[in-house]
Amino acid sequence: MPKRRDIVAIILIVLPWTLLITVWHQSAITPLLSTRKGKSGLRGDIVEVVRTEYVYSRPPPWSDVLPSIHVITPTYSRPVQKAELTRLANTLLHVPNLHWILVEDSQRTTTSVVRLLQETGLNYTHLNVETPRNYKVRGDTRDPRIPRGTIQRNLALRWLRETFSINSSQSGIVYFADDDNTYSLELFDEMRSTKKVSVWPVAFVGGLRYESPKVNKLGKVYGWKTVFDPRRPFAIDMAGFAVNLRLILSKPQAYFKLRGVKGGYQESSLLKELVTLSDLEPKAANCTKVLVWHTRTEKPVLVNEGKKGFTDSNVEI
Amino acid sequence: MATRMKLKLKTVFVLYFMVSLMGLIYALMQLGQRCDCTEHNMPKDRTISRLRGELHRFQEQLRKSEATKQPQKQPAKPTIFVITPTYARLVQKAELTRLSQTFLNVPQLHWIVVEDSPHKTPLVTDLLVKSGLTHTHLHMPTAKDRKLQEGDPSWLKPRGVEQRNEGLRWLREDRRAQPGGDNQQGVVYFADDDNTYSLQIFEEMRSTERVSVWPVGLVGGMKYERPVVEGGKVVRFHTGWRPSRPFPMDMAGFAVSLKLILANQEACFDGDAPMGFLESSLLQGLVTMDELEPKADNCSKVLVWHTRTEKPKMKREEALQAQGLGSDRAVEV
Repeated sequence: MPKRRDIVAIILIVLPWTLLITVWHQSAITPLLSTRKGKSGLRGDIVEVVRTEYVYSRPPPWSDVLPSIHVITPTYSRPVQKAELTRLANTLLHVPNLHWILVEDSQRTTTSVVRLLQETGLNYTHLNVETPRNYKVRGDTRDPRIPRGTIQRNLALRWLRETFSINSSQSGIVYFADDDNTYSLELFDEMRSTKKVSVWPVAFVGGLRYESPKVNKLGKVYGWKTVFDPRRPFAIDMAGFAVNLRLILSKPQAYFKLRGVKGGYQESSLLKELVTLSDLEPKAANCTKVLVWHTRTEKPVLVNEGKKGFTDSNVEI
Repeated sequence: MATRMKLKLKTVFVLYFMVSLMGLIYALMQLGQRCDCTEHNMPKDRTISRLRGELHRFQEQLRKSEATKQPQKQPAKPTIFVITPTYARLVQKAELTRLSQTFLNVPQLHWIVVEDSPHKTPLVTDLLVKSGLTHTHLHMPTAKDRKLQEGDPSWLKPRGVEQRNEGLRWLREDRRAQPGGDNQQGVVYFADDDNTYSLQIFEEMRSTERVSVWPVGLVGGMKYERPVVEGGKVVRFHTGWRPSRPFPMDMAGFAVSLKLILANQEACFDGDAPMGFLESSLLQGLVTMDELEPKADNCSKVLVWHTRTEKPKMKREEALQAQGLGSDRAVEV
């Protein structure tokens, strides 16, 4: 009899406390959940405001809170250059806190690019470095062994390291954007939350509709869905990843390898100095959405120009 | 002694139980309300409050600018109606995406997208909705005998004729219901989905009275084609291919005022016209060469380029599909 009574007594004591603790635990979490939802909802609102309300204010006003995106674009002179840079600029004009680092493959900065950059009103840095002749692509052949744009991208990385100190609180993301690809605005939203290196699918590379990282149920990258050499350490295109600026600054030796790089291994030559596979953050709905396309522009057929050039060479194209 | 102790114990228990119950009720009431004192959320909270502050600032700025804009709003900018024919292929979404990003920078622009398809596709529908642009989504399939087949060179048959004509038809019908009748302000421009447009060209064409013209880069086998201007008037055309055409220009090199389109209800593109005469087939009925208005600094600047996008190589994709291992079709590209 006393035993039962004791048991009842113990239950009566313990039960309310366990309930109390559970409820308290719950209430501690709910505000956490609601603020998280609130944050993303708010963020969604901010993005809406910037896009629709400020359509004609280009570029959008600088925000103190959003991490900057440093877009590194190597470019070289050819007939479609101005067109490519124009439409890329038209895209970048919608991205808040964007810093465009344009690196020309030339001995000195060309006036047409200088003018273009000034007219866009974008926040930019204009650099140039000439690729030595023996590295340049010969004629039309797209020799994959000669990495194009490497020296220019490395110069941009060096500029970032010289300009930003690792101690500054400025948050930033680094993205390598070639001038002929197509980027959706959603892509820039996705990459802004990069902590180390984030990855996503890219369309029209590797002879496929798209190449993408393989993501498991836990949201971790464990492989690459490609046909072309999926055993590369990072079987991803230049347009398929972004790096946190802090990581770039903390590993000052990490650059794209110039010599002895097999075709398709250029991205790996940088990324293996920065992260391991398990550190990668998959974006674009766990790498199920295509937000960037590796488009290539046809080389215009200029047959009617003839040897002497039919059109006035003073007119800039 | 024992009973007294028992009694004491009983009261202790009861008190204990009451206190716990009260605590429980208190906690339950706390659940319903938001808790302000979450120490572990400080950085997030700070970010949120900063974002909220910025949002407030932007909203105020917008309200201020709207307030000052009101009195000045009377002479509204003429709307540019851009007619873009499009058809399904691998690069379609990419082309329309970057085109929409250019247009998003241009005020008072109405995008009329006409699909070469028997019905509207979800890809284009979603893209247009997400673009944030003022748009109209139409569709008009090309007749089978007029359609380019696989392997046909692109110049074999005229492309986009039915679609552009459908755009014109819709525009005329839509504008008939608007106030102002045939005197409405507006400009009509035919923009193909793979060309590249600078933002300046749209400002240049806004002042079109009848038909305005300008140079187009990377077309006709040359760096650029353009009208030659003397004394502010177009006297001839600088082109490397068939200069004897009435209007040897590319589709991207001219814009027509809305008034002219509405005043000539029958004017449209002729699909039976010989190669390169498509533009002329429309313009012939609308204007003469000396009536053309030269833009872009008397046709000396290139503000639009006839770029073409390469067809992506799909060898590996095709090989995989033959094995039944093709990429996930549910992922839209």
